[in-house]
Amino acid sequence: MSDRIVEAYTGEYAGGKSENAVNRALELARQSRKVTLVDLDIVEPVYTLRPIQEELKALGIAVIAWKTRDTVGLGEAGTILKPGARWALRHEGDVILDIGYGVEGAKTLNLLEGANTEPNLKVIAVINISRPMTAGVEDIVEHVREMGKVDGLLNNTHLGNETTVEVVQEGARVVAEAAKCLGLPVVATAAAVGIAEEIGPVDCMGNPVRALERFMQKAFW
Amino acid sequence: MGNSSVQPVMPRSWRVDTKPHKFCPGCGHPLILKCLGQAIDELGIQDRVVFGCDIGCSLLSWDFFDLDTVQTHHGRTTPVMTGIKRARPGLICIAYMGDGGGYSIGVQHLVSAAARGEKITAVLANNTQYAMTGGQMAPTTLPGQKTETTPYGRDPETTGFPLPGQDMVSSVAGEGAYVARGSIANPRQLKSFLKKALENQMSEKGFSFIEALSACPTNWRTNASETWDFVERKMPAYFKAGEIKVPAGGQGEVQKDG
Amino acid sequence: MQKLFENEKKAFMTGNEVVAWAALAAKADIMYGYPITPQNEIMHYWTRLAPKFDKKFLQTEDELSAGFTTIGGVMAGRKAFTATAGPGNTLMQEPMSMAEMMRLPTVVVVQQRGGPSTATVIYSQQEVNMTALGGNGEGLRIVYSTSSHQELFDYTIKAFNTAWKYRFPTFVLGDGYQAKMRESLTLYEPESRGINLIEPEPYLGKAGVPGVDRPPAQFRNTFSMEEELYELLMGYVKDYEKIMPEVAEYQSSGVEDADLVIVGHGIVFRAIRAAVDTLRRRGLKVGYFRPVTLRPLSIPQIRELTAGVKKMLVVESAYGQLARLIKEVAYGGTAEMLTMYRPGVGITAEEVEAEAEKILK
Repeated sequence: MSDRIVEAYTGEYAGGKSENAVNRALELARQSRKVTLVDLDIVEPVYTLRPIQEELKALGIAVIAWKTRDTVGLGEAGTILKPGARWALRHEGDVILDIGYGVEGAKTLNLLEGANTEPNLKVIAVINISRPMTAGVEDIVEHVREMGKVDGLLNNTHLGNETTVEVVQEGARVVAEAAKCLGLPVVATAAAVGIAEEIGPVDCMGNPVRALERFMQKAFW
Repeated sequence: MGNSSVQPVMPRSWRVDTKPHKFCPGCGHPLILKCLGQAIDELGIQDRVVFGCDIGCSLLSWDFFDLDTVQTHHGRTTPVMTGIKRARPGLICIAYMGDGGGYSIGVQHLVSAAARGEKITAVLANNTQYAMTGGQMAPTTLPGQKTETTPYGRDPETTGFPLPGQDMVSSVAGEGAYVARGSIANPRQLKSFLKKALENQMSEKGFSFIEALSACPTNWRTNASETWDFVERKMPAYFKAGEIKVPAGGQGEVQKDG
Repeated sequence: MQKLFENEKKAFMTGNEVVAWAALAAKADIMYGYPITPQNEIMHYWTRLAPKFDKKFLQTEDELSAGFTTIGGVMAGRKAFTATAGPGNTLMQEPMSMAEMMRLPTVVVVQQRGGPSTATVIYSQQEVNMTALGGNGEGLRIVYSTSSHQELFDYTIKAFNTAWKYRFPTFVLGDGYQAKMRESLTLYEPESRGINLIEPEPYLGKAGVPGVDRPPAQFRNTFSMEEELYELLMGYVKDYEKIMPEVAEYQSSGVEDADLVIVGHGIVFRAIRAAVDTLRRRGLKVGYFRPVTLRPLSIPQIRELTAGVKKMLVVESAYGQLARLIKEVAYGGTAEMLTMYRPGVGITAEEVEAEAEKILK
């Protein structure tokens, strides 16, 4: 299990954590790797991966997330951890964690058995500089420092359907500068498929580009 | 006014043109409001006080003072005054209510304001029943006491005992709170409690709460001596006067005037 | 206070977050609130931003308190607001009836959820009755129903101005889809677009000693005489009717030659607009009418419409709450009034399109 991939996607609310986690899991599954994707959004369990989990399972990903029929009443209760998620790191193979938001969102990792001793765990902070709370270098640095253990940043800058290459590249520059201040690597720039193709394999800062298929739109309603 | 020479002196903060007031003869409210007016005068805070009154007989106090005032809804005076205080901490906010407003329909507001340590002063007149609606049972009605909804007397078996509102408030109020119960039977003491409560707010110590034992001869159907007997003897059997909670380390410095 | 945005800028946000930023842009001073889904992130973002901009927040014990403390804030002369939904909106009706009685410029953001009762936590358009006409009064309120994040931003800013200009309680009516949905919008300082923010003024706690330097400011909501209440209320009604034409807003397209006009508000309007676009491209004479203000409605335009077109279709995620408002105004018109009610569930453009096709067949 030493070379397995364990990544936790964390960051600002609506910053693109789930989309990146799903796409990363899919990328690994397509390499015929055994992947478990875990929904750790305990603030809004009625959103996130619940509606798309069957689709993801069909694509070869093991998904730990609530099912609609299990969530009656939980919408209001909100903070609910699916028991299976607690033991997610005991699963063999790669584990991709989609961490929910909240002031203490990053601390959600404490709820996982073995999170402190897992040698392969990489915590990736997903940053969209179009989100006002993480718009500038200082904002990002402050935001990431509050998160505790972080191993890398991921530039996920976009404006929804109005995204342009320049919007993403500007994000790449700002995120790279913030990463420098933090002494952290930039893991990648992520962009929707069409935009990613336009940018090419690396962004303007030389970081790899991940093409995102958009799943989360389907997850909403 | 031919008999003005025998009129007692009105507090400066009273509004003269709305007197004589509209409370019933023998009502306890004017006595409480007199003590409050004197406390305001002595502290010299007429320019800073905002007074809110509840619904019930307390609503008649809306134009009682030369103060900025607002009449709110039944039970909701505490949150209105809390809202004012939070928005403008320089104002001195008084929430005036009856026992139904404070201990029944608005009890969550009173307790929560106390627990949060809102720097307001709540004043509650306890006359053991709902007076304005015609004399129904209140949380403060004494066991055996007849009201329109306990025509055979309050039976604690089915309706419980009088609510110990002061204990309830003081048990959740923080260190800086001031909680005391006075009575219209002892205006000097009641005034000193009200003054301390306002001082507590002015020194930003915490929540302050005064319950005043009051009288409602109209609904009690009591003559003067029976009224006083009820206020001085029967009510204190359940509602003991005195300071229930005083801030640790005293009240601190406040500006005093008179 | 420091500037919120140096320049106009595009941002990608959830609707609740937009409301918090809009309240900041409108120079709101204080929010009072109680948690209820789906409006929580309004409080979450307000509490994150508030200390940075010298703003205040109070978490109250319930929505009664949230509404009444908001009243306190407004009476103290501050721009105060709250946000709620569903059962919280039910409780909010009590304080808002006081705001109606005293002409208080409260601002309440409502993110509608399913009802009645606790129901579902995310979406419906079932709070139209309550928001427009709730409380034990005459519905002397102003209600903006938004359909996008840009509108949530624009109309939250506008709500504060409307409230303080006309002194009627003002509501921004969204829903959980808008609250949670993510889309881009342009953030701006209102002044940079020539929007003059109206300064609040105190009702209570004015300068000077009351009774000495000035008469005391005293407000009541109880009246002994029926005539006294009547006179006061009719004055309010007159004021309200006078401002209706300048407050009421609507949006319409393709109604001039339409065989069918589809009517809807809020996020459902987006589905309607998309359906009308498609149907028009296919040569069908279909238009839409969308009230932006649900209270007051754009009465002359609705009357004109119902006197001119053959058929109207009211589409809403409720069982006739909007239709009832429209029908009242439309009374006497000749248009056949058809309805598509989906209480508590979302409505897609394809569903609207299919319904329209059925009608036009």
